[in-house]
Amino acid sequence: MAEVHVIGQILGATGFSENSLFCKWGVHTGAAWKLLSGLQEGQTQVDTPQVGDMAYWSHPIDLHFATKGLQGWPRLHFQVWSQDSFGRCQLAGYGFCHVPSSPGTHQLDCPTWRPLGSWREQLARVFVGGGPQLLHGNTIYSGADRYRLHTTAGGTVHLQLGLLLRHFDRYGVEC
Amino acid sequence: MESVVPSVFLLMVNGQVESAQFPEYDDLYCKYCFVYGQDWAPTAVSWTLGPPLIGLEEGISQITSKSQDTRQLLTWNFPIDVTFKSTNPSGWPQIVLSVYGPDLFGNDVVRGYGVVHIPFSPGRHKRTIPMFVPESTSKVQKFTSWFMGRRPEYTDPKVVAQGEGREDIGMSVRKVASLSGPSQKG
Repeated sequence: MAEVHVIGQILGATGFSENSLFCKWGVHTGAAWKLLSGLQEGQTQVDTPQVGDMAYWSHPIDLHFATKGLQGWPRLHFQVWSQDSFGRCQLAGYGFCHVPSSPGTHQLDCPTWRPLGSWREQLARVFVGGGPQLLHGNTIYSGADRYRLHTTAGGTVHLQLGLLLRHFDRYGVEC
Repeated sequence: MESVVPSVFLLMVNGQVESAQFPEYDDLYCKYCFVYGQDWAPTAVSWTLGPPLIGLEEGISQITSKSQDTRQLLTWNFPIDVTFKSTNPSGWPQIVLSVYGPDLFGNDVVRGYGVVHIPFSPGRHKRTIPMFVPESTSKVQKFTSWFMGRRPEYTDPKVVAQGEGREDIGMSVRKVASLSGPSQKG
């Protein structure tokens, strides 16, 4: 079986209008992939930037996959939420990106979006908070049924991932 | 063509904690330590005929004050010298930095925690890492801790390198520390 190591950090996020942000992340793979070690999902701490506008999480990611096929290459998906001083959480954006497929260190910038809703819901979001959220999390990383959504852009999530591949040459895959 | 793949590999890290930028604080010292998975162990490698040179897994630096010139630099130039032995890239070592300094009343309080993975590829690398500090969510608690000189701090800084349990922490970012140095894989 070929093996893939994904080792890196979710560095932080920029470009969000809200201040105190945290991120729930997860990794999704195809059926032929098996997670040998590492956490498949997690949640970062809440970060309130004092200097500048980038929220830093430095959240470590250390995943070890074994796979029998290339289909279903791992995808990382994110939900960025903001927390106000009362402890209420509001959605700031959804985003996903594929794990790189060439070995080495990569800097990734993942754009995010959030569902808009009707003009009433948008007005309510400005004054009261809240706002529409996705019912099924898999819409974040799948293309099916996206045509029903009306969304607006959120900020960008920044990652630094290192990739190590093993035994791919035994199966005739060059990397 | 078959080649024998060794089952154990070594990771040698040489470098230094160079300097820090903390606009608000002065007279700081830093501590570093490594966090790694179960398959990793720090090792002593002997290059000469003498006794093996054991690298240090953790250290405490000197106390540095900001330079009086326009750079306002806090420089430690604190050496890092360690070699790890492993059979598995999972649990790749991370270096955890904690910076401490005196507050208004003279107590030693934590000014920032930061964490970064040791780079994967051999060669020279420079990393600038953001530092953050735990913050309590209640305003009364914040005032009390400022007044008493007892900021929230971690009993074990290695918590910063873990992926679990971070959702219960509220943090705020202060500033940056920079590390540089070559690393070799064998």
